[in-house]
Amino acid sequence: MLAITYVAMTAIDRRMLDRELKKGSAELIILSIVEHRARHGYEISRLIESRSAGQLKFHIASLYPLLYRLEERGWLQGRWVEKPGQRRRRFYRLTAEGRRVLASQRHTWKAFVTAMRLITGVDHA
Amino acid sequence: MPDPSPSSRSWIDQLRPRLAALRLSPAREAEIIEELSQHLDDRYEELRAAGSDDAEARRIALEELDDHDALARHMRALRQAHVPPSAVEAPPRLGGLRDVGHDLRYAARMLRKQPGFTLAAVLTLALGIGANTAVFSLVNATLLQRLPVADRAHLFYIYRGNVGGVFSYPQFETVRDYGRSFDGVAGWGGITASLNAGDSAELVSGVIVTGNFFDLLGIRPARGRLLSTSDDVTPGAHPVAVISYDFWQTRFAGRSDVIGRDIRLNGHAFTIVGVAPAGFSGPQLGGARHLYVPMMMQAIMRPPRAGYSGEQNPDLLKNPTNSWIFAVGRLKTDARLAEARAELDAAIAEFFRTRMKLPPGASPPRTSMVPVDEGNAGQRQQIRSVALLLGGVVGAVLLIACANIANLLLSKAAARQRELAVRLALGASRGRLVQQLLTESVLLSVIGGAAGVALAWALVEGFRAAPPPAGGLPIAFDLSIDPRVLFFALLLSCMTGIVFGVVPALNASRPVLVPALKGASGSVAERGGRLDLKKMLVVAEVALSLLLLTAAGLFVRSLQSTRAIDTGVDVERLVSLPLNINLLRYTRVQGREFYRQIVERAERLPGVESATVSRIAMLAGTTRILSVHVEGRAASHDQVYSENSPVVIGDPTLINANVVGPRFFKTMGIPLLSGRDFDETDTEDRPPVIILNATAAAIHFAGSTPIGSRISVGGPQGPWREIVGVVRDSKYGSLTQDGVPVVYMPLAQNHETGMTLYVRASVAPASLVSPLRREIQELEPNLPVPAIMPMTQTMGTSLYAARMGAWLLGTFGGLALLLAVVGIYGVLSFSISRRTREMGIRLALGADRHHVFLLVIRDGMLLVMLGVLIGLGTGLAAARSLGAFLYGVSTTDVPTFVGTVALLCAAALVACAIPARRAIGVSPVTALRQE
Repeated sequence: MLAITYVAMTAIDRRMLDRELKKGSAELIILSIVEHRARHGYEISRLIESRSAGQLKFHIASLYPLLYRLEERGWLQGRWVEKPGQRRRRFYRLTAEGRRVLASQRHTWKAFVTAMRLITGVDHA
Repeated sequence: MPDPSPSSRSWIDQLRPRLAALRLSPAREAEIIEELSQHLDDRYEELRAAGSDDAEARRIALEELDDHDALARHMRALRQAHVPPSAVEAPPRLGGLRDVGHDLRYAARMLRKQPGFTLAAVLTLALGIGANTAVFSLVNATLLQRLPVADRAHLFYIYRGNVGGVFSYPQFETVRDYGRSFDGVAGWGGITASLNAGDSAELVSGVIVTGNFFDLLGIRPARGRLLSTSDDVTPGAHPVAVISYDFWQTRFAGRSDVIGRDIRLNGHAFTIVGVAPAGFSGPQLGGARHLYVPMMMQAIMRPPRAGYSGEQNPDLLKNPTNSWIFAVGRLKTDARLAEARAELDAAIAEFFRTRMKLPPGASPPRTSMVPVDEGNAGQRQQIRSVALLLGGVVGAVLLIACANIANLLLSKAAARQRELAVRLALGASRGRLVQQLLTESVLLSVIGGAAGVALAWALVEGFRAAPPPAGGLPIAFDLSIDPRVLFFALLLSCMTGIVFGVVPALNASRPVLVPALKGASGSVAERGGRLDLKKMLVVAEVALSLLLLTAAGLFVRSLQSTRAIDTGVDVERLVSLPLNINLLRYTRVQGREFYRQIVERAERLPGVESATVSRIAMLAGTTRILSVHVEGRAASHDQVYSENSPVVIGDPTLINANVVGPRFFKTMGIPLLSGRDFDETDTEDRPPVIILNATAAAIHFAGSTPIGSRISVGGPQGPWREIVGVVRDSKYGSLTQDGVPVVYMPLAQNHETGMTLYVRASVAPASLVSPLRREIQELEPNLPVPAIMPMTQTMGTSLYAARMGAWLLGTFGGLALLLAVVGIYGVLSFSISRRTREMGIRLALGADRHHVFLLVIRDGMLLVMLGVLIGLGTGLAAARSLGAFLYGVSTTDVPTFVGTVALLCAAALVACAIPARRAIGVSPVTALRQE
């Protein structure tokens, strides 16, 4: 059962996006954020907000359940890391399985976006 | 979790209530709170760095938690939120118990689906477990029995000298009065009485007891009252009796009016005052005593042994030398055993110093104390040997049965490979599979065990319905299936299930997944693994069954040998019966007259050639032992006189002695070798005479004739008796004893009060039983005549144990052979069915059917020969332990070993031939298509 993701929308009209779209994109977003290095939860949420230019924000009540779900599926691996002089933090990194899923979801998303462009765009076949 | 910052503490207060609904484990909740608190801390620090004040930063940070239920709602779908803490922390056993219930139901379904296999397995197990249960019921009835007395930890048998030694009554009184460490000491003596309850006299085994006997043992009556100290006051003044519960049920039909009933004991009037409780059969285990009378009635109820007549009636309550009393004492709770013994030793020593004539230099005897639970050590050792032998036999049968069923299970597991492979692939652990398979085995075994209990019950009831003849077995016991036996059967069933199930279960739970999932069946490539295990089991079965067959063969040969024994008397034509006139206190004159009359009456009966009397009954096992001195030879040994002792062989100072009536040797068919028989001239007023058997003559007069020489059996001072004849040896105490030296003395010169009548018949001996009984009852109605038997029946009684042993071992050996043959057949059949393709290829390639047939036979017989080799080796070793049970056959008897091997091989050949015929009947086309 996939959790229903609540994404705070600011500029985009909420009614324009259905639940399934939000659900699918949230996982892709998280997986791509941690693609290149491990990050902790707050860093992930700040990066999402900054890279989307404030369009997307993940609240605490939706971000961490999503991280835990991805961890349960084996797409992310969470680990407590203690650096000298600092409190320990939980970092998340992509697993091999997560990389495969990320690649697959990217491919699907690209195809979907292309299809949407073709259907809704100026150019007609 | 590290100490939270001051701000984190308020986050915790916000976060915890939002997670409460999930009921996470405390550790998991703490982790989540720590992580989320850090997020809020980071947010707060960022806002503060951006210029917000504390309250503002806190308010904005907490906006992320505006929706109070959002966190719980989003987390609810996660697995960690669904597992309740109690289940996560509970020990795995709870899950295991639920699994057992499921496994049992599944196992029952599997067994129902294959009725043929289930029936075969249950029957096999029933035979194995039933036999073991029956043997355990024997162990339960003998070795595990305890005297039903109160506080047995403080009860001890007290013996004079070594264990089994008895006291005279005055010695017993000393022990009783001086035993300060005891709360009480009671005494008893064994008696055999004539009991007449109105119709006829019968012999009853009983005990004569002191007044405190029942009280000391803590026995309570089933009816009426038991004997007490008030019945132990004046000699001859207490004609009361207590009977056993069994006797009350069988002889008096359990009637309530038995209390107060008048009976005649040894011709005298007594009254029954009580019934002993059920389960109490006397002061010693293994004896079946049915009558209890007061010690003060000794003169009537416990006469001296033969040698005394009515005139000479020494008062055994006063005679210091006549030893016949057993003693039992209850030790005080604070007394020490060593001190108690020392007290008794001192008391007995004092008695001997003051009232007995001790030879110079001799020391008085000491005492022995044995806990009542140890009972008769010699008897227990005998029973233990028999129980071990029987237990070993039925245990081997059960092992063979287990091997058979294990083989069956291994075959079935091969058919279930796919099912088990799928379950493993779906994530079932191996342990789980093994648990389920073992549950099936144990369930099967418990069902077989229940059937086995029914079989054991039938065996026990059969034994009770046809009990051994009196004297056939050395002890009396009552077989029954009681709760202890049932518990044994249950335990054995469970263990059996594990034994035959564990290897197939471990094997089956480890299939090679890919071929199993593909459903690949056996092919040419299938060798080793399961098949080797099955072959090993067959080899073990063959070895075990050969072991049993060999033991059975030795017992059968032994029985044949004993049957072929030349007894030295003409047993086919003899009838015997005991004449216990000592019970009636005949005077010497009365006794002589009685013997004369009974012999005369017997000889007048049609079909009787001659009759005689003898003091020692043939094959009774016990004898009178006397010292022997040859006149003119120096000797240093003293006089010895012992009654009812085991036969003595190999001691030249002692001899077995018999007193016989006129025409004894003629009646018994014992030929005279030299000299003469006793005759009318050998009377009381003439010089005493004596006859030797050949062994006695050879021992004492080797190389010369004993006729005319004189010997004494009454001590070195005489009386000297002239040897008038030598007779051939004949069997004396038992069938299996040879070289027994015996002397015979004439009744006319040595009066006896207890004789056995022997009658030589020219008709079928059994036809004389009723006429003889009539003659005796007419002559003396108060004389019990318990057992008039043709001598062939007496021999049968003495052979009862050997016959029973041969029958039991033969039955179990045959059963083991059957099971082994079935096992061989099963393994070969399975092998053929798995090698159908191979057979088909061979035949298709032109192999001769005859060759294929021999191939299969060879495969099977190789296993058998291996089993035979192992069985022969262990059989030779094990047979050594059977030596004590065998007569006339050595433990390495070649005909026995050759015969059993031949029998086993012949049966195995048949078992191999059937699947071999099937193999050559395989159609190559069908076989090659099959995959």
